[in-house]
Amino acid sequence: MDLIDFSQIKSLQDLDMLEKELDAKDMECDVRIKDLLSNRSDLEFQLRSLSKKLSNLKPVEAESQHFAEVIKSTALLAEDVSAKVRLLDKAKNRVSECQQRVNDLLDLQQCSEGVATAMQNEDYEQAAAHVHRFLTMDETLLKHTARDVSEGRTMDASFHRLHDAENQLKKVVAEKFDEAVKDDDLASVERFFKIFPLLNMHDDGLRRFTNYLSTKLQDSSTKNLNEARLTRETDKRANVIFADTLTLLFEGIARIIEIHQPLIETYYGPGRILSVMEYFQKECDTQSKLIIEEFRKHRDFSKKVQIVSAYLNQRSETKIDAKEVDSVLNELTLLNARTELYARFVRRRVTSDLDISVTDEAEKNAKLKNVDRLLKDGETFRVMQILLGQYILLEQYFMAQSVQKAVELDSLIEGSSDDLFVVTSVTDDVFFIVKKCIKRSLVSQSVDGVCAVINNACGILESDFADLLLNQLRQGFPSGYLDLAQAYSVLQSSLQHGKIQGSDIEKNRTQFVAYLNNTDVSMEYVAALKNSLDKSIQDAFGNNLTPYEKDKITNCLSGLSSVNIRLKSVSEFGFSQLKSSAVKPRVKPWLDAFFHSRTTYEIEEDEFQDDSESMQTLISNLDAFFKSFKVCLSPTTHGTFVSMAVTEIALQMEKVLLKVKFNRIGGLQYDKELRTLMGYLTSSTTWSVRDKFARLTQITILLTLEKVSEVADFWGKGPVAWRLTAQEVRQVLAMRSDFRQEDIRRLKL
Amino acid sequence: MEDYRFLFKVVLVGNAGVGKTCLVRRFTQGLFPPGQGATIGVDFMIKTVDINGEKVKLQIWDTAGQERFRSITQSYYRSAHALILVYDVSSQPSFDCLPDWLREIEEYANAKVLRVLVGNKTDREDREIPTYVGEDFAQRNNMYFMETSAKEADNVEKLFMEIAHALIEQAKAREPVPEYKGNPGQSVTLNHRTPSTTSESCCSRLL
Repeated sequence: MDLIDFSQIKSLQDLDMLEKELDAKDMECDVRIKDLLSNRSDLEFQLRSLSKKLSNLKPVEAESQHFAEVIKSTALLAEDVSAKVRLLDKAKNRVSECQQRVNDLLDLQQCSEGVATAMQNEDYEQAAAHVHRFLTMDETLLKHTARDVSEGRTMDASFHRLHDAENQLKKVVAEKFDEAVKDDDLASVERFFKIFPLLNMHDDGLRRFTNYLSTKLQDSSTKNLNEARLTRETDKRANVIFADTLTLLFEGIARIIEIHQPLIETYYGPGRILSVMEYFQKECDTQSKLIIEEFRKHRDFSKKVQIVSAYLNQRSETKIDAKEVDSVLNELTLLNARTELYARFVRRRVTSDLDISVTDEAEKNAKLKNVDRLLKDGETFRVMQILLGQYILLEQYFMAQSVQKAVELDSLIEGSSDDLFVVTSVTDDVFFIVKKCIKRSLVSQSVDGVCAVINNACGILESDFADLLLNQLRQGFPSGYLDLAQAYSVLQSSLQHGKIQGSDIEKNRTQFVAYLNNTDVSMEYVAALKNSLDKSIQDAFGNNLTPYEKDKITNCLSGLSSVNIRLKSVSEFGFSQLKSSAVKPRVKPWLDAFFHSRTTYEIEEDEFQDDSESMQTLISNLDAFFKSFKVCLSPTTHGTFVSMAVTEIALQMEKVLLKVKFNRIGGLQYDKELRTLMGYLTSSTTWSVRDKFARLTQITILLTLEKVSEVADFWGKGPVAWRLTAQEVRQVLAMRSDFRQEDIRRLKL
Repeated sequence: MEDYRFLFKVVLVGNAGVGKTCLVRRFTQGLFPPGQGATIGVDFMIKTVDINGEKVKLQIWDTAGQERFRSITQSYYRSAHALILVYDVSSQPSFDCLPDWLREIEEYANAKVLRVLVGNKTDREDREIPTYVGEDFAQRNNMYFMETSAKEADNVEKLFMEIAHALIEQAKAREPVPEYKGNPGQSVTLNHRTPSTTSESCCSRLL
């Protein structure tokens, strides 16, 4: 307890406080003492039991000490034993090494004697086997051992003899191999090919062997190329004869690999295919280059490329016939496809060989990089990259020329009995051409080639073709008194006579409508083209595409959606033309006539008509108008057209309406008429009319009110979202001649 | 659907070996792969970046510089939103070819495409093209200009981010369609400010 500092106590109050504090502490102490005393018996019981248990622990201590002793001695023993085992092991290793060396020594003797006999008997396999055995020995170690057992002299002689034999054998085998090659004796070639690895001449053997096979390749390729040169024009493979020749070359290599891979693997071990491929690639490069050169010469290819590129760069006006390009394009894609196929074959063979022979990942990757380099930079593949580039150029030219031809030959097409709407031939033709070109590019099996052709096709559709449509629509839909129904009948008769007759105006109208339909159909075609290409790509490449390559093609295909965006804007332009030249000039006079025929909307109850005559006239006018377009517009185009017309009617109607005066009966009369109109329009379109007439409907609500004050029941309440501003509400109310201006002004809106 | 507001196509062109692939790798993967083999045809990479809270997807097409791939690479010009023309500051020949590349761009690309001139390899000791020469060329041809080092990661991020920035500005000026679709008829008028007049404009020189 803290000491009490009496010097701090300066007053009676302090003293009182101190006393209270001490009292409190006193009580606290009492509580704690009681608490401790109550625990006493419990503690004493625990102490007693503890002292009892303590006596039990003594023997445990003694036992554990003993146990520790035992473990220690065991450990010592174990260490002792394992040291002995290690020693034994060492001894055993030495014994077996010794045995090995004794064996070696014995074999050495035998080999050195055997090799001489074998060589004499021209049994090169046996001789090579002896040399091979000798090459697995550790020469310095053996010499060392021999000195110890003073056998040095005989052994030196053996070594000498075997070294001689090795060198001689190497020379002889190489000579014999070359001799066999010269005699074209395949059995002997293979015989000596098997001996090279026994003499540690793996690379030499492979090189000589592939050289030999390359000459075979060269022979057959030369023969094939000669035959190709002499192929008659009438031969059904004449157009693709060089692609065929190249195919034969690749197939030749593939066959050689197929036949000799087991031989190589058996005698040279796995992991040799990369070098074999590298050796063959040299011959392949030479031969494919010859074939492509012949192709260029025979097909007059370089000249074609030169003309086309000059024309495309606008450096010259000279053209060549698209048909001439067409057949060479087919051959180009085949040439490329075969090369891609061959590259895939090489990659697959080398990769699976590396998989089983190389375990080190880094080494494997380095070797795979070599394969990549071989397949990217090899002459065959470089030549093919050049050809592919030229293919893309020619395909672009073919596409552009064919499209231009389609434009030149553009003519109206009669609709079938179901859909009479008129289009021109250009749409079908252009999409046919584009699809043909892209599908052809798929044959090439080159992802970059396909992407480039898709890009170019999108360019043609988005620029050239859309511009064509736009320019045609820019000519406009000639207005004039002639009804479209008449234009249609002109069209009908012109179709019957096979060509357009009649006035320029009629011709232009038909032309305009046809192009509006063309634009609409084109948008459908773009979507259909995309779907059909998705499938064709899957068919052409199967599972050969990596996700990256798939992505690349998909991204290029998305260019088609840009085409549709452009076409949409062209279509919108067409409709705006139609609106200003066909819809507006019609709708306005009809509406004028409608309001004019009923001289006033300030009418008495008995003048109310259930069946408004003027509305009937308006509706029958509109009906004829819509029907005249329905027959010649495509269904979607017609839908868009009606929707556009409905918007225009609502707009024009409001304009005229705002100039008319009403009383309530007049308002009800107009309400009735508007409902009839909306009823008709709803029946003639699939679009919702209600929304387009929302403002008019709301105006009508105001026109049918009994009192101005009723506005308060509608305004700002209920489910009606008002399309009219407060000012417009007042303006409409003012149209009611029976409402007082003051009341309207007083309205709180 | 991926979540992004803008999609822009960026195409890199220029002579072989000026470092186009390295620029793209540095930007998209943060790597500088030494001993890069020549690009075959066209490679493409995608990177989504955040510009003032807007997700922008950059589709980057890295073209092969070698002549034999020209007809492949040309097919990508038309739909590009931005073209990056790259030369190597330590190679006079790569700079001398720029007029040829510009002719290609004029011929195939959209007239309104964002054009950026990039002098790469500023880390090299043996520089042959002084900065002002590149800058001058860019200015004369109405291009943005920047010098970069893919090896040292110098200005690479900045290059692509500022291109994205400029393209957003453009797209916004041309509401309501956010994606520019490479359509010559309705393409946006690109505000081609010359670098010298606006020091803060995209890709103006930053030395």
